[in-house]
Amino acid sequence: MKSCRILLAPALLSLSLSACVTTSPTTEGSGGVSYGDSNAVETVTTDLGSTDIQTTSETMTQSLLQTPVLQDIIRKRGLLMASPVENKTSEYFDTKLITDTVLSQLQKNGVRYVIAGDEMQNQVDELRRQNQSGLYKKSSTAKVGNMQGAQYRLDGSVSSIIKKAANIKDVYYKINMRLIEIESGVVEWSDEKEIRKTLRR
Amino acid sequence: MKRLAVIAVFGLACLGGVAPAQGADGGTIASKVGELGRMEYLKVSDMKAVRRDNLLRVQITVTNSSSDNQQLYYRFLWLDSDGFSVWNEGPWKPEIIYGKQDKIISVTAPTFKAADFKLEVQSPNNSTSGPHSGSTADSSPYR
Repeated sequence: MKSCRILLAPALLSLSLSACVTTSPTTEGSGGVSYGDSNAVETVTTDLGSTDIQTTSETMTQSLLQTPVLQDIIRKRGLLMASPVENKTSEYFDTKLITDTVLSQLQKNGVRYVIAGDEMQNQVDELRRQNQSGLYKKSSTAKVGNMQGAQYRLDGSVSSIIKKAANIKDVYYKINMRLIEIESGVVEWSDEKEIRKTLRR
Repeated sequence: MKRLAVIAVFGLACLGGVAPAQGADGGTIASKVGELGRMEYLKVSDMKAVRRDNLLRVQITVTNSSSDNQQLYYRFLWLDSDGFSVWNEGPWKPEIIYGKQDKIISVTAPTFKAADFKLEVQSPNNSTSGPHSGSTADSSPYR
């Protein structure tokens, strides 16, 4: 009888452990965290949010693609660079997100762009590492002095007007983007997107 | 059955001519529009598509039969001629349709590869029944 109990104990233990195993590929905590739709309309506050970035980027890309200048850039494999969209509002918001999304969407359509701004330092560091560290074969290093300059520059800004009353807050955003020919300084394309967000208390 | 109301015309810019649109599953408005919950007051009453400069352009008219303002959420899905998606699912866009208004919404495909499209619409105030009956909150793209 005693030996029977000894044999049953591990069997029951393994049975109870197997009951805990779930087929769902998730690891759930107790915080109630869940994934949502990244494309959902977000109205948590009147600040610029994901929906504003997504719709603005989409509008700008669609507008740019219709421009003969941009279609010419694609055809001739011209080069573009982008200065980050400037945040002229009073709130903190990484407006470079708009620049990055527009560039990414343009590249999917065949637009080539060169790096600029903050990313330039990483590029220079890598060129120096390859050419000056003595660690690399001369025949395999990327040569200095071969980077290509862009013919066109994309820039833009976000501005806002905020109005408040006792029971209402109204925020009007205007996002402007431009495509400028670098050599001549001529603005070849510009467009703007307006957003109004209202909070009633 | 309601006859085709879609006037889908692809302009052949280089030839200066036009050709009828060849949607993946025909050309009715119903075949192009996916409603997340039945919309009582809002209706896609007209739809046009044209190809210009190698880009598909779509214009829809949304009619509000109510005298109250209605909230519309919509997005386009861009497909190739075989019905495969050629672009990421776009963001849901909010649009207010004023009482008794016929609102024209124009969009251009974000990619030269788009040859066809689907329109998804949802209106939180109207989703009382339909394919997502009883799950308005779940089917809403509104956070």
